[in-house]
Amino acid sequence: MLNDDIPAQPTPSEDGQAEPGRRGFLKGAGLTAMGALLGTSIPFERNMPPGLVPVALAQDTGAGLMGEKNGLTLLNDRPVNAETPAHLLDDDVTPYERLFVRNNGLVPQHAMDMSADGWTLTIDGEVDNPLTLTIADLQNDFETVTAPLWLECGGNGRAFFQPGASGNQWTTGAIGCPEWTGVRLKDVLERAGVKSTAVYTGHYGNDVHLSGDPSKEVISRGVPIEKAMGPENLIAWAMNGQPIPALHGFPLRLVVPGYPGSASQKYLTRIWVRDREHDGSKMTGYSYRMPAYPVAPGTEVPESDMVVMLDMPVKSLVTFPQTGVEVPAGRPAEVRGHAWSGKGDVAAMHVSLDFGQTWQEAELMAPPNPFAWQRWTANVTPPQAGYYEVWARATDKDGNMQPPVVPGWNPRGYGNNMIHRIALFAV
Amino acid sequence: MSLSQVLSRLARGAALAAALAVPLALPAAALAQGYDPMAPRGGAPGFNPMLPGGAAPGAPSAAAPAESDVPTNPELGGIPDTAGAEETFYLCSACHSMATVTSQRLTDERWDYTWTWMVEDQGMPEMDAETKALILSYLKRHFSAER
Repeated sequence: MLNDDIPAQPTPSEDGQAEPGRRGFLKGAGLTAMGALLGTSIPFERNMPPGLVPVALAQDTGAGLMGEKNGLTLLNDRPVNAETPAHLLDDDVTPYERLFVRNNGLVPQHAMDMSADGWTLTIDGEVDNPLTLTIADLQNDFETVTAPLWLECGGNGRAFFQPGASGNQWTTGAIGCPEWTGVRLKDVLERAGVKSTAVYTGHYGNDVHLSGDPSKEVISRGVPIEKAMGPENLIAWAMNGQPIPALHGFPLRLVVPGYPGSASQKYLTRIWVRDREHDGSKMTGYSYRMPAYPVAPGTEVPESDMVVMLDMPVKSLVTFPQTGVEVPAGRPAEVRGHAWSGKGDVAAMHVSLDFGQTWQEAELMAPPNPFAWQRWTANVTPPQAGYYEVWARATDKDGNMQPPVVPGWNPRGYGNNMIHRIALFAV
Repeated sequence: MSLSQVLSRLARGAALAAALAVPLALPAAALAQGYDPMAPRGGAPGFNPMLPGGAAPGAPSAAAPAESDVPTNPELGGIPDTAGAEETFYLCSACHSMATVTSQRLTDERWDYTWTWMVEDQGMPEMDAETKALILSYLKRHFSAER
């Protein structure tokens, strides 16, 4: 299946017979050049029969499923990454068609087929009783929990860092709060009997590396065992009452709210309890890590000084109205949105209509459960006609507030929780 | 799949990549909602925390070449058509879309690091010194945080 055309996009013609290479790079012995470039991205390339096509080109990206999304901004089609404009995130429970997509690799075939036949989850490592569980085992042997829980990409807000940081250039839309159904990670770990030597979890899925190399891990992240044993984390098989969609980890995934989304492994097959900080793919180097000390923008930070990112910072969005709308001067205009924090509840929400000079407290609802985002609402009154910005600022229970500017530059552009601003034109 | 199919698929990927950063539904610009103060700025040279944000509303500015007078090549995912463009396109798009490249604004040192990471960690084939220098200078010219 090579169906990764995106609906409503022009379909390129199929007459590309050796056209792209006609100016020399693949001139002549096309296969030799192709082998030098494509062939070497598959294992044992030296033994690759002439004409064999790298499996990466045969593996679906999942881009063909993006037609099921509504209004998202596509940042990348291989791997598929797309974010949601703020005004499309107004629902209390984020529907599938509005949930951002963050893939590190290619969507595995079982998910494209929505087939969970024979799926098992292994719990092993620093446990007394290693487990291999079917989805039915999870459903039958543990308490089922249904809860809205937010997920946010660690790099949400990366586009605002100066100088730029490598990775998807997310603005504000790599966040969502669907309702998940599954079992508590804690209950499953307790059934396996976590040993006193346990330090970290290591998560594994079966998504496909961009190179198509089946021996390569796409991503394997984990969390400290103390976080893993928190009651908020789920091993989920349903999202918004339906089987988890292919783009979001069918048939089984972790939901570890409060941490970067990459801790919530998709296509989950194994949880390896480690006796040390997990060192899987994208745990080490610069991935999902921050400098251990504050650095000036653009600093080259040694790899040894990078530490794993844990709790996501306190943050909020204005989801109504859409930025740039007209409102009547001198009359109250409703503004609203959501607030969330990696440490759990948000304590307070404020809005400003004068570029942060004065602030008024917004009404902030309690979440239906821990780690569901919280609805906030306020009325702002532009005193006269003209240009205004609504600034929305969340404060966590320790008194940490969102900053008005991009905080702490870091090499990979993580953790930007700067205040969200929208424009209002009073007329 | 034949070689011509592979090439045609690569070309199709290029067209797809060229269509990137276009919202799947209504572009925000088409909504005529005016100014978005959160719109990110492209890679301005130097660092000035007092610079005003805000640009045209809409999708994040991805594949804007550093020099507006350089033509782009739609067959190569819309990347600037200068020395090294073809080599860069074939090497990078063998595994991922060109948007992965064109949305970056990195320092020279970060591009060097990325090359090493791709080879050592992600299975990219190492190139001969000449090709490596050509592709890296292309990346540093067009997708730079420094110029």
